[in-house]
Amino acid sequence: MRQVAIAGCGMTKFGRSDVNLVELMCESSVGALRHADLGERRVDAVYVANMGAARINKQTAIASALVDRLSLFPAMAESVENGPASGASAFKNGFLAVASGMADVVLVTGAEKMRAVNNLEATDFVASLTHPEAEYIYGVTLPSLAGMFTRLYMKQFGVTAEHLAMVAIKNQENALKNPFAHIQQRITIEGILHAPEAVVNNPFVADPLRLYDCCPVSDGAASLVLCELDLAREFCPAPIRVAGIGQATDTHAVHERPDPTQLTAVHLAAEKAFSISGLSPKEIDVVELHDAFTILEIAESEAAGFFPKGEGHLALEQGTTSLDGALPINPSGGLKGRGHPVGATGVAQLVELTWQLRGEADARQVKNAKSGFACNFGGFGNNVITTVLVREDR
Amino acid sequence: MIEPSVYGNRCSACGKVSYPAHHVCPECGEGAFEPVELAGEGTVLTYTDVYALPLDYAQRYLRLGMVELDLGVRATGQLLDENPEIGKRVKVTIGVVRQSSDKKIYGLQFVPV
Repeated sequence: MRQVAIAGCGMTKFGRSDVNLVELMCESSVGALRHADLGERRVDAVYVANMGAARINKQTAIASALVDRLSLFPAMAESVENGPASGASAFKNGFLAVASGMADVVLVTGAEKMRAVNNLEATDFVASLTHPEAEYIYGVTLPSLAGMFTRLYMKQFGVTAEHLAMVAIKNQENALKNPFAHIQQRITIEGILHAPEAVVNNPFVADPLRLYDCCPVSDGAASLVLCELDLAREFCPAPIRVAGIGQATDTHAVHERPDPTQLTAVHLAAEKAFSISGLSPKEIDVVELHDAFTILEIAESEAAGFFPKGEGHLALEQGTTSLDGALPINPSGGLKGRGHPVGATGVAQLVELTWQLRGEADARQVKNAKSGFACNFGGFGNNVITTVLVREDR
Repeated sequence: MIEPSVYGNRCSACGKVSYPAHHVCPECGEGAFEPVELAGEGTVLTYTDVYALPLDYAQRYLRLGMVELDLGVRATGQLLDENPEIGKRVKVTIGVVRQSSDKKIYGLQFVPV
């Protein structure tokens, strides 16, 4: 296999967008292509990550539409739908195309325009990934699976509502330093948990999870330009090497897992990515996790191997995962702060890591970050992709 | 009218009961099953009250739970219990779990023993 590098990246501001889905994809794609500054080199293949265009935007074959808008003919192109892990899935396919020699330069764009429908429909659209007969018919949604998971996690490991709030506060604080983040709001533990009006401002969504434990519904797009490493060295001032990718699946119905608090697919995917990269969790400088719900940041930080099981909330409490801590998690704001346009998220995580490793993350820059880890969590943990990125000196 | 039921699958080769259905047994890899009615009692593993109600529901909240059934399999369903608790004993009943304008869907509802 050939070595693969990220040569450039870009994203739109996440939040509510007035332009259509393909225009949204164009914006991040053009940004990434400019950032990569390819010169005369052509894009050989385009991978688009998206979960819901057919249903919520009534448009199909959007990879072909993107190639057309960007006049990238005759580049190969396809869309990848893999639930909320679509972003990293498209990235993985782009990686494979370059690693195999089938393509030298690949554009990966993840996008979702979820605010085209109301919140009820957006939640129902995401809930369509649950098991149709054993979960969905009962009114199971992603927040309800997360609520049941959280209750069990709290009971077994002593995680409290305060710990969950700490994740929200930290990630929204980081998002204030990220001009691309959807949520631009400083919150305090008093305001969302202890003040009398907290019950109104921060009501239960699926108890014990409250509103501020859940990521927002967002529009947005994110893009990466992948390139064979030696080729990237010819023109890119700071190629970011894809050092390892791991992926694993788990049961469709969450209740079928031997231990429903164990995110086995996260554990296996991380183990694989670390083993391919030759790095250990201790050698990672910056991390992006899939905090669609606050509990997931804590649980994934353990399952990926950064902290022992049941101790993720202690690391959080001690400030280890803060922007100035020993292992900053979600400097971008995570899904909680940056927002979660589902198809875009896995790509946006790698965009943030690329900026961090290139030293281009401005006010939220993690000092001298050389290696990064991302976890894109599909379903409720039934399809997970993890990635290790490393800064290469030219 | 036939009483509605929910069924798990017992593997004809290894005896493992799984729910929902798989074409291939997750335990032994064989592919022949006999239906097993999900009935009897069990223990609440976890639960949640959902206030952000999904489509088709018009009520204050929806209480959902995961239950470890005594017959050796777990199931997700609606928890009809005013005082839910992890570890509490419940029994399986079948009722309408989702209702849209044109159809009623029957499924698992857990009630206190």
